[in-house]
Amino acid sequence: MAEEPRQHSPAPPGVRREGPPGGPRRGKRQYFRKKKVCRFCVERVDFIDYKKVEMLQPFVQDRGKILPRRMTGTCSRHQRWLGEAIKRARNIALLPFATEL
Amino acid sequence: MEERLYDLIFICRPDTPEEEITKLVATLEQTATERGGKVEKVEKWGTRKLAYRVHKHREGFYIYLVLRATQGEMIKELERRLKVADPVIKYLTVRLDEELKRQQKFVRRRERKAARRPRKSAGTGEQVAAAS
Repeated sequence: MAEEPRQHSPAPPGVRREGPPGGPRRGKRQYFRKKKVCRFCVERVDFIDYKKVEMLQPFVQDRGKILPRRMTGTCSRHQRWLGEAIKRARNIALLPFATEL
Repeated sequence: MEERLYDLIFICRPDTPEEEITKLVATLEQTATERGGKVEKVEKWGTRKLAYRVHKHREGFYIYLVLRATQGEMIKELERRLKVADPVIKYLTVRLDEELKRQQKFVRRRERKAARRPRKSAGTGEQVAAAS
C-alpha cells in the first residue's frame, strides 16, 4: 500500500470533529458533532411514548423546536419515531409548539 | 375480527367539578360498550399546566383512557361526543395496535438472536478479543 503524501488540511469530511475549516465545509462549524450512539438504540427502546414528557424533553430546544439528529446522535429510525411522538405531545399540550425566548 | 387498541386522552377545563368528569367518563364508557368496545383503563392525571393556552386556559384536567374496539366507528362516535361536550377543550386518539405489533416484532427478533448464539450479559467481548 503506497503512502500518499499527507496534506495538513484533511480533505474528506469524516466522522471526526472539525473546527472552523477553510476547506471542505465553508462557514459551517461542525460536521458530526457527537460520536455518541443513539440513546434509544442503547436502551433498546421499541416505542417512544408521546405521553412521557421527561423522555422527550431532552430532544427539544428551549424554543420548542425539535433538535436535529446530528446534535443528539439519534439514529434515523428513532429520530423519526421521536418526531412523531413530539408532534403528538404538542397536539395534546404536553409540549409547546413554539416558545418566545 | 381484529381487535384494535386505542389511546384516548382528553383535557377538561380545570374548573370542572369532579362529578361532571365522572359522568362524562361514564357516558363515554357506555358509548364504547354499546358499540362493542371495552374500556381497559381509565386514568385521571389531574390538573396540569398546559404547554400553551387552549381556549384561554393555562391549565387543564387530563383524563387518559385505553380502549379496545372491533369497529372503527366507535372512535368516531366517541370523538364526536367529546367535541360536543362543553368541559372538553382538547382530545387526541391514537391507534396503538400496529405500533404494538411492531414492538412485538422487535422483541421477538431480539429473542431469536439471543437464543441463536450463547450470549453473556457482558457482551461479546471475548469474541472480539479472539478475532483480533
